[in-house]
Amino acid sequence: MRIHVRHETAYHYASPAKYIIQKLRLSPRSHDGQHIRRWRIEVDQDCRLMETSDAFGNIVHSFTLMGAFDSLSILVEGEVETEETSGVVRGTAERLPLELYLRETDLTEPNADIEAYARKFVRDDGNRLSMLHDMLVDLHEHITFDTNRTDSGTTAADAFALKHGVCQDFSHIFIAAARSLGLPARYIGGYLVQQNGVATSEAGHAWAEAHIPDLGWVGFDPSNGVCITDGYVRVAVGLDYLGAAPVRGSQVGGQSEDLKVAVHTENMAAQQ
Amino acid sequence: MLSRTADNLFWMSRYVERAENVGRILLAASRMANIPGADEGVSNEWESALAAAAARASFAETGQEPTAENVFEFLAFSEANPSSIRNCLRLARTNARAVRGALTLDTWEAINGAWLELHRYRTDDVSPSGLNRFIAWVKEVSLRVDGSAYRTMLRNDAYWFSRLGVYLERAENTARILDVKYHVLLPDSEPVGGGLDYFQWSAILRSVSALTAYHWVYRDSFKPWLIADLLILREEMPRSLASCYANLTMFLDELARTYGRQGDSQRHARRIYAQLRNARTDDIFQSGLHEFLTEFLAENNRLGAAITDQYLT
Repeated sequence: MRIHVRHETAYHYASPAKYIIQKLRLSPRSHDGQHIRRWRIEVDQDCRLMETSDAFGNIVHSFTLMGAFDSLSILVEGEVETEETSGVVRGTAERLPLELYLRETDLTEPNADIEAYARKFVRDDGNRLSMLHDMLVDLHEHITFDTNRTDSGTTAADAFALKHGVCQDFSHIFIAAARSLGLPARYIGGYLVQQNGVATSEAGHAWAEAHIPDLGWVGFDPSNGVCITDGYVRVAVGLDYLGAAPVRGSQVGGQSEDLKVAVHTENMAAQQ
Repeated sequence: MLSRTADNLFWMSRYVERAENVGRILLAASRMANIPGADEGVSNEWESALAAAAARASFAETGQEPTAENVFEFLAFSEANPSSIRNCLRLARTNARAVRGALTLDTWEAINGAWLELHRYRTDDVSPSGLNRFIAWVKEVSLRVDGSAYRTMLRNDAYWFSRLGVYLERAENTARILDVKYHVLLPDSEPVGGGLDYFQWSAILRSVSALTAYHWVYRDSFKPWLIADLLILREEMPRSLASCYANLTMFLDELARTYGRQGDSQRHARRIYAQLRNARTDDIFQSGLHEFLTEFLAENNRLGAAITDQYLT
């Protein structure tokens, strides 16, 4: 699928921001089944984007601004060619041992409830792929997608108790449950385009990957209850949302900032 | 476009690129034969030249000794060697003539002129000056063909097919040259990092026009892993594998966009390109440079087969 992505992040500051530093994990890498045809980042203030790569292999851009700014906008625009791989993710930049993806973080620490929930899916035949599939479908059915009940700091345990959440919460719960069963799992930030569709939303998408022996990393999207397809553009990897967050930063001044995010994804083949 | 036309365009430029690469291999061998220590008979640069040109087996069939004269004659002018410079130029011209209408006048003249001029440069003088004169001409031919295509051809499928030939051939040669230096060239009696090793690396880098680039990029003495980094992963280095694949994916994308459909060759090229972009030199050396290059050559051949299946037959 040929996917066009346009992702704009705009800040407006009630009082001018004086010093701004931002770290962007907004540049996807190519791997089997995902080819980046073109990709660019535009910041509307004069600055120099420094490109580095973090421990997970994500491409990271950072920049600093000094002066007085009423607004700041970061535009990401690109075109990606994807192939259906039945959820299996191969050929990625792997920099770390698998065991690292068993590490708990504050946002993905499982409580007794999540551990008990995860154990329900353990199968007699030991088939881990089927086990995670069952969990994926079950999570999708029993947790309600709801953008009002949780925020970016909600933990897996809290969201699980609430039974409500957004893609981030679904992914955190899935990751916490998979890790509690001894399966390496990680958080993926990216974009999703519906088949034949054009979508505009206020956020990118997020899902999880779990490592299955003999198969490798497999992408699971618990908020939609499916394994990933060619409609997914994989951008950043992390242990949880904080590690893969598209934009992180801070500033001096700039009180009561107003943040607007617009993500536009489009299946270009469907438009022809 | 007829697949036959595409095939002619692809092989026309592939043969010109091959002629240039064989020339560069000969030049490197000649340089190495003239460096200190070579006259003691410990190194085997003319055999290495055969290996780098993938012509060892066909040379063995002639039953000749791998002397400077014999190898030079075989790689440059032999009619029995399908990849001799002479045969490359002949085949490039045959292919070009078949698609004369798809070429610009400049491109055609560059190729036709090369074939007509060849006899004037034919020589059995393997002294550095004699060989140099001939190879300088071969390089010039390649530059002329490449440059006239670049400056005069319409950016359509004819141009893209001709570019695919160039980059597929170039990637193959870079990989082979690197592999030969790393595994064949240095005699066991010579220490890695020693004098002969140093001269060999500088001759290799020179042969792919990368000596100055190396010093610009690394500002360091020759280190095998840095040279491998330059020739494998550095996209800004125009003969590197990564750069060749950046171009291959780009031109295959253009074809896919023009024809409205894509297939195995696009998928395969993208996969190799992603691998090259995601790889790190440390990891390559850890799992073995030779293994990496062998695998790469196999993948590169597979891409050639995929392009042939999809477009050229």
